[in-house]
Amino acid sequence: MSDQTQAIRPAVIIGGNRIPFARSNGAYSKASNQDMLTAALDGLIARFGLQGQRLGAVSAGAVLKHSKDFNLVRESVLGTSLSARTPAYDVQMACATGMEAIGSLANKIKLGQIDSGIGGGVDTTSDAPIAVSEGLRAVLMDLSRARTTGAKLKAVSRFRPRDLAPNAPGTGEPRTGLSMGDHQAITTKAWNISRTAQDELALASHKNLAAAYERNFFDDLITPFAGVSKDTNMRADSSLEKLATLKPAFGKNLGAEATMTAGNSTPLTDGASVVLLGSEDYAREHDLPMLANFVDFEAAAVDFVHGAEGLLMAPTYAVARILERNNLSLQDFDFYEIHEAFAGTVLATLAAWEDAEFCKNKLGLDAPLGAIDRSRLNVNGSSLAAGHPFAATGGRIVASLAKMLHEKGSGRGLISVCAAGGQGVVAILEAR
Amino acid sequence: MSARERVVLDAAPSLGALYAKAAGSRLRALLPGGQAAGGTLPEIEHRLEALVADPARLVDYQRLMGDTVRDTLPSVFVHGMVFPVAMSVMVREDFPLPLLGMVHLSNRVNHLRPIPASATLSATAWAANLREHRAGTQLDLVVEVSEGGEPVWRGVSTYLARGIWPGSRPGAPSEARAPFTIPARTASWKLAADTGRTYAAVLGDYNPIHLSAASAKALGMKRAIAHGMYLAGRALAGAAPQDAGYDWEIEFATPVFLPSTVDVGYEDRGDHMVFSGWGARSGKPHFSGSITTHPDGPASRA
Repeated sequence: MSDQTQAIRPAVIIGGNRIPFARSNGAYSKASNQDMLTAALDGLIARFGLQGQRLGAVSAGAVLKHSKDFNLVRESVLGTSLSARTPAYDVQMACATGMEAIGSLANKIKLGQIDSGIGGGVDTTSDAPIAVSEGLRAVLMDLSRARTTGAKLKAVSRFRPRDLAPNAPGTGEPRTGLSMGDHQAITTKAWNISRTAQDELALASHKNLAAAYERNFFDDLITPFAGVSKDTNMRADSSLEKLATLKPAFGKNLGAEATMTAGNSTPLTDGASVVLLGSEDYAREHDLPMLANFVDFEAAAVDFVHGAEGLLMAPTYAVARILERNNLSLQDFDFYEIHEAFAGTVLATLAAWEDAEFCKNKLGLDAPLGAIDRSRLNVNGSSLAAGHPFAATGGRIVASLAKMLHEKGSGRGLISVCAAGGQGVVAILEAR
Repeated sequence: MSARERVVLDAAPSLGALYAKAAGSRLRALLPGGQAAGGTLPEIEHRLEALVADPARLVDYQRLMGDTVRDTLPSVFVHGMVFPVAMSVMVREDFPLPLLGMVHLSNRVNHLRPIPASATLSATAWAANLREHRAGTQLDLVVEVSEGGEPVWRGVSTYLARGIWPGSRPGAPSEARAPFTIPARTASWKLAADTGRTYAAVLGDYNPIHLSAASAKALGMKRAIAHGMYLAGRALAGAAPQDAGYDWEIEFATPVFLPSTVDVGYEDRGDHMVFSGWGARSGKPHFSGSITTHPDGPASRA
């Protein structure tokens, strides 16, 4: 290898595309991950005239995958009109899958390894990979290894009727047995986030998303799929009164202090999103728009297993580090896209950044990161309204934020996405 | 060396046979004049040599506890391996208390260093510290485990024989228990009705109070209860260090009736980790304990 240091060049966000997100077991019940990812890719290819092109890479992923989906992204690419010579690979980082796929792709462009790429993600909880029970699986595996009739009979004899119960994927954390919502309930309570504050954030998400549809913001960001043209979870007519009637869904062990409902938590959703990135030269050569630069991204993780930190608080740490690396303050942004896994997640994250003790003891900062201008937060709605097909959320946010920055014509945007396993990915985008 | 007389066992006693023997003693104890309460502990220790873990059983254990399959022995698995030696002391004719129905109060274990799965171990067990408890008589079962003469594991299990006092029943009630405040929940265990049977199938501890509602009722329990060591094993899985020696202890408060959901809280206190479990519905404390990594081991995970 040459020891000559290559210059880092900008990675540019050209545009994005997604299919509308649909509530689980609804409009997309029969669609597979591959169907939905292919549909999102098809729309992007049509929008930017990518037919027949060999791109540098397509990088995407799904959180819930069937075993047959071992090469999900490559199989999806083969079903599109992209050149069959376009390499593709799967990424998996729970709800941060899309962000990791896009961020790593941007790094390859910055390094000059590739000139163009598509990053994104897809998930379905409707076409979920139901597996046989561990008991039945052990019997079947022993049976396939058995050479003699005696060994086969011995394997079969271990079968028990209870082994017929299938194994469905859940949103529980494997090491704690708690659902993500129950984990967030611990954090929500620790930060004293009120029910009203959560309901207000949820309502704002629905209103903002509906307003964005109203002004045709999504016209060049979404292609209809399976007869759906808008996110089916969106409730433009929701109200604080309606939200206040909902019963707690998570943290029910807190009794009267439980604040998290189906209204201020994201529902299970199906959908797919993709983002086209390239070098400046690639965009110019193909006469493509340049919406924003993908400046930087940072991952963090916390120890939630032993109670040291809340499950979904890793982005607070990642943001502190990315700000320092880029010599920015938390207030140097025109837009904040904080993924609404739960309203409580967003509000606890904001509270933590304002808290002197947290910023000093946990983030190691001399002064708190401080408050943000709330009118710049999730201005076109976020996951509470749009829904959250795990791996597809990163692509939705990156494409929307890039467009918002381009519309404004200047400034920066901050993205924060929390993920299962106590992880999180944050990113900085800059307008072009 | 101790003054205890040593009995070297020629093979690991079967727990099933030991429980059968214990059941026999229990019946005898019910006969007039058969109660063996009081008295003293036998000045004797039982020793078993050439003890090697069964690799398939080890994997079953690690899977059952949600632990990673590794080539080292989890601390509770070692307890399971040597438990028959401890039990063989408790079913001796000269042991002063009936084994069946005895309540497991606590464990303190020094896991002195990582123990390879292939290690050939020796275990020596004896009973000590027969003493009064407000609800009966308690005693310690001590087991020392060594590999090639080097001590690697030492466990003290404390048991209570309820309603049996060494002398006359104490009159004054003992001090009240400190009120239990529910700690921050960091995990939740859903324990199925067959939890006791599954654990027994892996570690061989077929004590009837753990197996089924019917067998537990025969011994005065309203339903089957989870093995204390199952709870300890779950608590240690993922929290005990893999690459250093450590001390851990667990104290049992109220039994976990099966099936049940146990809420669990871990708290990292810097030089040690504390944990506790309580009923998700009842809010009653089930167990609490701590894990302390030896200072010459690696730094804490934080």
